[in-house]
Amino acid sequence: MRFQLAGRTLRRHVSRTLLATLGVAVSAAMLLDMVMLATGMRQSFASLLGSNGFTIRVSPRGTLPFDSEATIGQGAEATAAIQRVAGVTAVAPVLGATIHVLGRGEPVTAFALGIDPAVQGDYQLLEGAEPTAPNTIVVSDAFLRAAKAHVGDTLDIAVGFDPQLRTYQGRQRLVISGRARFTYLSAEDRAVALRLATVQAMVGGQRADRVSLFMVRTAPNVDPEVARAAIERALPRVTALSTAGAIAEAERRLSYFRQLAFILGAVSLIVGFLLVSTIITVSVNERVGEIAVMRAIGVSRWHIVQQITIEGVALSLTGAVAGLLLGIVTARYLNSILRGFPGLPDAIDFFLFQPSAAFRALGLLVASGIIAGIYPSWRAASLPISATLREEAVG
Amino acid sequence: MRGFLSSTSRLLALCCVPLAAATAQRIDSATVGANAQRTIAIDERLASDAGIRIGDRVVLAPEPGSSAGDTVRVSAIIRRRADPSEVARSEYRVRLHLDHLQRLIGYGDRVDRFAVLTAGGTATDSVLSRINSAAFGFKAYPSREIAVETSKTFLVVSRFHRAIGVITIVASATFLLCIMLLKVDERRRDVAAMRLMGISRSTVVRSVMLESSFVALAGSLFGVALGFAVSAFVNVHYQSVYRTPLRFAIITPSTVAYSVLLSLVLGIGAGALAARRLARTPPLALFGR
Repeated sequence: MRFQLAGRTLRRHVSRTLLATLGVAVSAAMLLDMVMLATGMRQSFASLLGSNGFTIRVSPRGTLPFDSEATIGQGAEATAAIQRVAGVTAVAPVLGATIHVLGRGEPVTAFALGIDPAVQGDYQLLEGAEPTAPNTIVVSDAFLRAAKAHVGDTLDIAVGFDPQLRTYQGRQRLVISGRARFTYLSAEDRAVALRLATVQAMVGGQRADRVSLFMVRTAPNVDPEVARAAIERALPRVTALSTAGAIAEAERRLSYFRQLAFILGAVSLIVGFLLVSTIITVSVNERVGEIAVMRAIGVSRWHIVQQITIEGVALSLTGAVAGLLLGIVTARYLNSILRGFPGLPDAIDFFLFQPSAAFRALGLLVASGIIAGIYPSWRAASLPISATLREEAVG
Repeated sequence: MRGFLSSTSRLLALCCVPLAAATAQRIDSATVGANAQRTIAIDERLASDAGIRIGDRVVLAPEPGSSAGDTVRVSAIIRRRADPSEVARSEYRVRLHLDHLQRLIGYGDRVDRFAVLTAGGTATDSVLSRINSAAFGFKAYPSREIAVETSKTFLVVSRFHRAIGVITIVASATFLLCIMLLKVDERRRDVAAMRLMGISRSTVVRSVMLESSFVALAGSLFGVALGFAVSAFVNVHYQSVYRTPLRFAIITPSTVAYSVLLSLVLGIGAGALAARRLARTPPLALFGR
């Protein structure tokens, strides 16, 4: 009965109901998008960092991994020192360098990672073999396209150019042993990975035995924060960053998006609440006579409150369901825009649908619809019956 | 005062010599005698965080903990310009003379890039082509090309803001339309009374539209005032968070005109729609009879 009456009331003003539902749907979509934005970045970045099991990153003191060209000297000694730290199960040294592929028209420039193939976490091999031999490399698809090369090809590669002598430095012939997806790079990045010793030998001079970064794996029963502090004590010239610390740093840098999400999410919730409360209030004001008649024929006050609250819930719920679909579509579109950030790793998504967070947000919107309906319904149900009837009859 | 500055700053420093470079503004400095030790300029953030003042001595080393370092004197404190590309970067910046930095980090007689000032116009193209044809291993780029390349991040942010703006406009337009329809709908008894008194339909529609125009205009003006207040808050907040003089929210006359026009069109449109519907309904029906 209550549901039927509420449904008929909403159908009485179809355009108004549709418009209100649309308004709530847009608010719900916006709220959902902002919740996805606020939680998605953190979740996505945490998944990216945790995907290879490394829990600590070690970079030159005062820097973040690959945030500058700074490197850690005496790499072998530093590797041994980190391995000695209690709880550390694996250490993956990485040296970054720029390489040039020669002999294919214009030199092709790419980012090279010197790694230990036995314990690396920078790429997933898609085809071929690991670069275990000193003269082998694995490369990204973007590199293959730019260099017009294939797995098995031999390339003439150099690491530097001396404009005075007009010569390339650290020149070597390397065989492409495999094709890989690089975890921390975008699909458009031309990247290669080869043995650390090979890169160190190619760069030579000042950068021999230097490392840009160590990735450290810890035992499951060891708190990464404890291991991190122990590494910094063992090697005062480095900064060690746990995954939690790296996420906190990323969040600090991207705090703008989180705050934007919070503000717009709050505004969406308020707009949804105002819309439902306005519609219900106006609807109740129009029907005070009808409500007074219902009360006069014995319909209980609680019944009236329930009927009007159902109207608010119906509006919010319908809007929230429509908003859920609309929100997912707009989130995909907004995510595709932000995925255009240059150099963004493929695995990073700004908008991530997490059912628990999404349904909590939409639940909040429906709850606001209930609250929006309670006050006008209680007011209407509390009107003096005889006075209201007289006023309505006389006009 | 002793301390060290990591080699993190070396590239940044390389790019920013001499001090008159266009990336920073000197906010305090001291004259240094000819026979004084080497001097450096540091940015305001570093001065504030490390408590360094003009005249203080610090040790510059290419690496943390390195025994090979130079004791230098801070001769200037500089403020970064409002550059969006630096907003999320929190590293400190130090500026030192090119030869000093080259020696300190063992970089030899090398530089990362040259900035070339030309007479402008066709001279720029001519200089570009001469450098590119003469210098094997160098490549000269016009500043506008570099600007396009480095502004990709901001183009993405700008596209994102535009998309969010469109969603917000749709949401607010729906809200406004809804409210205006309800507002006019509330006048059903007044309209019925006017019609029974013999006032013509067109007069009723015009009067209701006039009323909705006033409501829309008052709402827009209030919205503009609120917008100015919110943008001021946003600027103060983010300038403090990112320690930058950059203005994050700017309200332009065109923004104001666009938002006022939109709300007026929606308000008047909604008013006209509702008023026409009311005017067509028989007056007694509007009274609920």
